[in-house]
Amino acid sequence: MYRPSTLAMILAGGRVDELGVLTHYRPKSAVPFGGFARVIDFPLSNLLHSGIERIAILSQYRSYSLINHIGTGAAWDMIGRNRGISILPPFKDYENPHWYRGSADAVYQNLDYIRYYGPSVILILSGDHIYQMDYREMIRYHSEHDADLTAAFIEVPLDSAARFGVAEIADDCSEGGRMLSYEEKPAAPKSNWASLTVFCFRPAVLSEVLKKNQENTSYEFGRDIIPMMMQQNYKVHGYKFRGYWGYTRTIDEYWQTSMDLLGSAPKIDLESWGIRTNLAHRNIADRQPVKMGAHASIENSMAYNGCIVEGTVRNSILFPGVHVMAGAEINDSVLFFDNIVHPGARLNRVVSDVNTVFNRDVRVGAPKCEQLHRVSVIGWNNSVPEGFRIGCGCTVAPRISAEKWPDKILDDGEELK
Amino acid sequence: MRESADALVLLLAGGIGSRLNLLVEHRAKPAVPFGGIYRIIDFSLSNVMNSGLTKVGVLTQYKPLSLMAHIGNGEAWDFTGRTRGIKILPPRTGEKDSDWYKGTADAIRQNIDFILANPSEQVVILSGDHIYRMDFDAMLSYHQHKKADITIGMMVVPKRDIHQFGTGIVNDENRIIDWEEKPAIPRTNLASMGIYVFDTQYLLRTLAHDRLEADFGMHIIPRAINEDRVYAYPFYGYWRDVGTIQSYWEANMDIIRENSGISPEEWEIRPNPECGGRSMDRAPVRFLPGSKVTSSMIASGCVIEGTVINSVLSPGVRVKKGAVVTNSVLFDDCIIEQNAVIDLAICDKHVHVGAGAVVGDGENLTLPNRQFPKHLYTGISLVGKEARIPAGVRIGRNCIINFGYNDDTFSGQSFLADGESA
Repeated sequence: MYRPSTLAMILAGGRVDELGVLTHYRPKSAVPFGGFARVIDFPLSNLLHSGIERIAILSQYRSYSLINHIGTGAAWDMIGRNRGISILPPFKDYENPHWYRGSADAVYQNLDYIRYYGPSVILILSGDHIYQMDYREMIRYHSEHDADLTAAFIEVPLDSAARFGVAEIADDCSEGGRMLSYEEKPAAPKSNWASLTVFCFRPAVLSEVLKKNQENTSYEFGRDIIPMMMQQNYKVHGYKFRGYWGYTRTIDEYWQTSMDLLGSAPKIDLESWGIRTNLAHRNIADRQPVKMGAHASIENSMAYNGCIVEGTVRNSILFPGVHVMAGAEINDSVLFFDNIVHPGARLNRVVSDVNTVFNRDVRVGAPKCEQLHRVSVIGWNNSVPEGFRIGCGCTVAPRISAEKWPDKILDDGEELK
Repeated sequence: MRESADALVLLLAGGIGSRLNLLVEHRAKPAVPFGGIYRIIDFSLSNVMNSGLTKVGVLTQYKPLSLMAHIGNGEAWDFTGRTRGIKILPPRTGEKDSDWYKGTADAIRQNIDFILANPSEQVVILSGDHIYRMDFDAMLSYHQHKKADITIGMMVVPKRDIHQFGTGIVNDENRIIDWEEKPAIPRTNLASMGIYVFDTQYLLRTLAHDRLEADFGMHIIPRAINEDRVYAYPFYGYWRDVGTIQSYWEANMDIIRENSGISPEEWEIRPNPECGGRSMDRAPVRFLPGSKVTSSMIASGCVIEGTVINSVLSPGVRVKKGAVVTNSVLFDDCIIEQNAVIDLAICDKHVHVGAGAVVGDGENLTLPNRQFPKHLYTGISLVGKEARIPAGVRIGRNCIINFGYNDDTFSGQSFLADGESA
């Protein structure tokens, strides 16, 4: 009888502090990305296109948005007798009183779930990266080399490698090789191969090392599991991934990765990647085509169904339901679902969460701001008062009530809570 | 909450709509794409859903495959559930021989078993080929309040158009006291929209009266106004029978015109996102550097490098650099190559217009199509599904390029004169 041989587990629990107001009410993996989708749609679509049909999502932080987004799993075709997505929230039982104390602990607490399905390979992914990958090639490499663990890596500039898990990988073949060393966020990286947080495990070994790890006080795959496996001479391989990898850990990175969608030859081609999202989430499927007004101007931008553009839009991404009124101007910005931009408002380098209204003559950012962190981010359900000026690199928390807005101005880099 | 008891809906979706020419060559009229992501029948189905009605039979006859695929299990309009449902009702072999539906009343008569199997107080009978928004729940309440046997949705139409409709003369209580079907010299401007509420028992009785009474407007209604309680339910608002190329084009243009009265999203019209190319899974529209788009509707998956003005683009249309699309309706995945020009055209799915080609060339909008002078006479040209127009060719006004046309030499011609077909 056919049974799926690969079980995928997506680590989608975390909130990332650096994304600030975008993750006040949702985990990182549920942050909107790409004009209609969510970050987790990228690994989910990769799984769909890789023919991997049994998926567990480990979710802990503010999971409602994520649960709502996953729905039945039908959006990714993960519904059927041998296909399905399970959301695995933290739980208590006779033995275990904890929240998920880390990525490795989260998987450890669900070892019986893994046993139930009895897969021959366990694929562990992080739910918060933007990339296109056929996991089957990595799984084939993993099986061919009879590895206990194969971890995927990508080349990054050496000066940024310190932020990642970094491995030295032997040149066994073009696809990868034995892992020679591994360090989590090293001060002086020995190589520029950075971990993608994509792991193939031999199930028996995974269970073994996770049990050992329980004696420890830290429970992370990168910080604890891989170094332990290296030390104890497990067969650990590095798989070299050579495609695009979009990192969205900070607002600036989120903004940059979004900008990679634009241009005549974008680094991310959503259409050819076949990204699928849940069309029922925020009623995407109920929106009419983009409506362009008589005096609209839009250039080098993306907009999904449900947008109404009457003003000027340049180098920007508009999620469903954004309304740019006549006389408004938007540059270099990402506006999530149902933002409304009133006449005379000018937005530069803004990431604005859902349901925010920019009233008449609001200014955000500046056309040629030279600040280091120049992106201003506005939390959801805000109404920026008429004529208000927000500088570059500002942060506005979600749902600021009318009386809490200061008088007229928020200076560069300021935060409004 | 819904006020009235559950009524059964029967949707007449069998019409050929032959005046839509190429657009109905491979699909029934209700399945013709409209407004970028919709099909004509979405308006009726969404009205049914938004009226809180949950049991629907769709009577099909002409080229039903596209329509059946589009309706699917009805989930898009919330017709799935234990007591909900939408059923396709094709003509069947009767006692004698193959019984094609001979008219609206005959079609309903042949599905009496469906009506009996779904007990209801009232039956709502609609046609699947109009663009409008209407609350049938309010109409049902009106019907009950009037204690009517039949209630007919009616609206005022311009005198010049009235000859296409069933017309009714009403007294001051909106009771219909006289009826004329498609009158040459009209006495009223009150036209039937082809929307009927029948008391179920009355409907069963009146259909049993005479099997030769095949049509509601021609037979059933004229008899009923003399014998029974027939009321007009006045409708005010946007309503279009998009049965001609001209009216179809105008209604598409209405969507992009300010204050035209039609707004699919506000009307809560729902397309079926799981049908066909699953248009909603396509990426957001990409407006590339140099694009210029005004007064238009652009659906997901489109990539615009050129100029689009006053046009409706379905998912996946590509308008390349230097190309100009004006006053046109382009269905899914049309490709308009560099520097091509499209004006006043309706292009069916997957049309490919070569570089520098022109569709809608010249200023003479009034020379009708030679083959179909009653279909194309206002300057609109039609390009059939999957047709390929070679680079550099010029196509005039009121022209027809047939389905799948694929002759890279264009028969040695470099232009197609106004009113000609290829």
